Amino acid sequence: MSILEVNHLQKVYTTRLGSAKVEALRSVTFSVEEGEFVAIMGESGSGKTTLLNILAALDKPTSGSVLLDGQDLTGLKESAVAAFRRDNLGFVFQEFNLLDTFTLEDNIYLPLVLAGRPHREMQQYLSPIAHQLGINDLLKKYPYEVSGGQKQRAAVARALITHPKLILADEPTGALDSKSSDELLTILGDLHRLGQTILMVTHSVKAASHASRVLFIKDGEVFHQIYRGDVTNEQLYQKISDTLTMLATGGERA
Amino acid sequence: MKLYLKLALDGVRKNHRLYFPYILIGSVMVMMHYILAALSSTPMLRQFEGGGFLRAMLPMGMWVVVIFAAFFLFYCNSFIIRQRNRELGLFSVLGMSRKNLSLLMLTENLLTAGASITLGMLLGIALEKLAELGMVRLIAEEISYEMRIDGISVIRTAVLFGGIYLLLTLRAIFRVWRTDPLHLLQSTAVGEKPPKANWLFAGLGAGLLIWAYHLAISIQQPLEALTTFFVAVVLVIIATYLLFIAGSVALCRLLQRNRRYYYKPNHFISVATMVYRMKRNGAGLASICILLTVVLVMLSSTLSLCIGAEDAILTTYPHDVLIETHIPSREQMTGENYAARRALLRELAPEQVNVQEYVRGSVSGMFTEDGIIIDAGALEDLSMVVMENIGMVYIVSQQDFEQLTGRTYTLAADECLLLTSRMDYAAPTFTLQGGAPLRVQAVMPDAWQLGADAMNMFPALTLVTPDFAGVTAHLAIDDNNYASGMEMLLAWCYAFDVPGGAESQLALYDPLKNHVRDLSFLRRHGGYSFSLSIREMKRVGFYGTYGGLFFIGIMLSIVFIAAAVLIIYYKQVSEGYEDQKRFAIMQKVGMTKREIRRSINSQVLTVFFAPLLLAGLHLTFAFPLMWKLLMMLNFSNMPLMIVVTACSFVVFGVMYAAVYKMTSNAYYAIVSGKQDNT
Repeated sequence: MSILEVNHLQKVYTTRLGSAKVEALRSVTFSVEEGEFVAIMGESGSGKTTLLNILAALDKPTSGSVLLDGQDLTGLKESAVAAFRRDNLGFVFQEFNLLDTFTLEDNIYLPLVLAGRPHREMQQYLSPIAHQLGINDLLKKYPYEVSGGQKQRAAVARALITHPKLILADEPTGALDSKSSDELLTILGDLHRLGQTILMVTHSVKAASHASRVLFIKDGEVFHQIYRGDVTNEQLYQKISDTLTMLATGGERA
Repeated sequence: MKLYLKLALDGVRKNHRLYFPYILIGSVMVMMHYILAALSSTPMLRQFEGGGFLRAMLPMGMWVVVIFAAFFLFYCNSFIIRQRNRELGLFSVLGMSRKNLSLLMLTENLLTAGASITLGMLLGIALEKLAELGMVRLIAEEISYEMRIDGISVIRTAVLFGGIYLLLTLRAIFRVWRTDPLHLLQSTAVGEKPPKANWLFAGLGAGLLIWAYHLAISIQQPLEALTTFFVAVVLVIIATYLLFIAGSVALCRLLQRNRRYYYKPNHFISVATMVYRMKRNGAGLASICILLTVVLVMLSSTLSLCIGAEDAILTTYPHDVLIETHIPSREQMTGENYAARRALLRELAPEQVNVQEYVRGSVSGMFTEDGIIIDAGALEDLSMVVMENIGMVYIVSQQDFEQLTGRTYTLAADECLLLTSRMDYAAPTFTLQGGAPLRVQAVMPDAWQLGADAMNMFPALTLVTPDFAGVTAHLAIDDNNYASGMEMLLAWCYAFDVPGGAESQLALYDPLKNHVRDLSFLRRHGGYSFSLSIREMKRVGFYGTYGGLFFIGIMLSIVFIAAAVLIIYYKQVSEGYEDQKRFAIMQKVGMTKREIRRSINSQVLTVFFAPLLLAGLHLTFAFPLMWKLLMMLNFSNMPLMIVVTACSFVVFGVMYAAVYKMTSNAYYAIVSGKQDNT
């Protein structure tokens, strides 16, 4: 059953005076099945971020629809969208987006607090997740006291604590060194194996090679996709880079 | 040079949100200083009776403005520098040397200083006449209406403020040389350590505040108020800073420890963010709170005095004319000396009505439970002299008292009536040291005052006795020898009203003054012992003093309010820049714009209205102190003072709210304006 269905998504930006129009997304259509780990790749300016913002309901499409678990996001009111986002989506950002005024623990609790959950329940939710992500000892620290990789793991914990249907990751390795990147990708892979649905936007081949399916976006459309099948991460890496080379040199659609 | 000018102008224009208020506040300070300086040298002040007090007070006001301006401009300037560090860092990365940057800073500071001083001076010259008119209205005098420029004040103002701005420039250049450019570039990006609660300081702040409040409300004697006032003020200032800087953080930490309270949608973000806000703004908020309190205390007490002046004048001078002169013995009052003086008074002031005269003995000393110690030698033996118990006893004969009040009393020889002012008396007997105890038949609080006592600040008792001679027999009459230490002053008091209003009162001054030698009985301390009070002349002095106080109160209030407004504004702007990022993050993790706005709103409201509320609390506890101080000036209208104080607070509350509203618009413009660009 598909957990996310994206149909003919179009997004046109108009400049302030309304004269020039930029089409960020032309017509994007794809779906994500429950338990999948999908990577979306594309060059800068290909519309990746716009797509993710629309999926996160932070932005509204010009036309087309987004169905999450059968519910149309584009028609919801802002307050309903915020609640929906809190309950069903988990976010991991390139810049971590942890609030510097909170300890890591409180940052992780944030979505639950906003949902009005009792504190005891939060603690019950947190301990297995913190254990799994190896941040048990860091919970009382403030973001400025820990490394980028540790911050990102806290951000993943924050995304997981609501047990969301879908995790949206926007360039999660973009601000990390290679060791931290590997650790994070391993964590995402583990989550995937435990049944978590993940949608990741990236332009790192390394990151994409951990996914179960890779979509390529070019000029506002889904241009190509690769299924992992039973190949290893290294083999997938090779396939992705071949595809990218082909895209860049203007080769025909495979 | 032209390049620097262009860059500096550009910098000022680009950061107009920071610079325009800075220039404006500088001008206000310059303006107020010029006005006060020009007023203190205005010839008008020399022309009339009540001007002396203002002439003495205005220079003090000037110095208050200068010192305050210096501190305040430094505060604002460092705020601007903090915001501009990035830009300077960028310039230096782009290849400007430290020398270039220093020149840029110099140009920029010259520009802002020049603009502030010029603008302030022009405003000052334009408004000086208005201020003079206001001052004259308050002290009720007529003057001429012509515009003038006071050269000395212009120079004085320019030199003093030039000096302040020079120091600011030097500091800016010093900073450029001391810091390293890359550091400048990154200075805003450094992670901020979470504030630690300083429980010691927080507790100390609360303790000091309670102590100060306790001092203020436990005061009994007005004279005590004078000394306690300064102690209490210092305590309150320290406590306010401690509470806002350490106490607020401690309170937030305490709230965070209460998990059930903290982990609620309404409290979670507010409390956590508040810790940082308070850490950064504690000092500024405490300053606002103190400024507000100062202004409120100053305005409400001087305004009360102004409005209640007529009452106070009537209390202090119940008669149009009062003459007091010391006499060497009671027998003088029957001799021909006395007859000659009375006749002379009749001659000098032919129209006298409501004439009252009496002989009054007075001793000063220290009150005990049931009497007064007069002997200075005896006082030295006491281990501790309680300052607040020092006071006066006036002795009046029953005969004189009945004549004065028009009532009759039945008193035995060993009985007395006691009239209290500024003190209470409870014992059944009263003993003048060395004499027999007198049974107190009745104690009348504030029942009757006549001249001498009303002008006093000390606690005083008036003792009415049927046996004046017997009661005072053991006291020598002070003839300037101080032989025994057990002496009493004896005075003849003569008071009367004159028909025909102010003119006829004033007309009496010169003739009476010219006959001092013939009217007085005794030379004391090398001069004639003679005192003359004419109410109309005192009235001018009264208004000169209290109207002058109120006027200076208003002038300083303007300076303080302008400062408070600017602190609020700068805080709003800096918070706005910091909250932009948080605003975006919170939205991404699932808050609606309305929720975020509500949360930020509640924080900002708390931060801004905390100083006002604490100032209100300070004012409430300062009220008994203010009341006691005003009582010393013969102000006795408590309801009026309550109304005036409450009104001042409400007016300020409204003004404060208006300022908040205006500046919070600037804040939202920053928070949401930048939001669109990302």
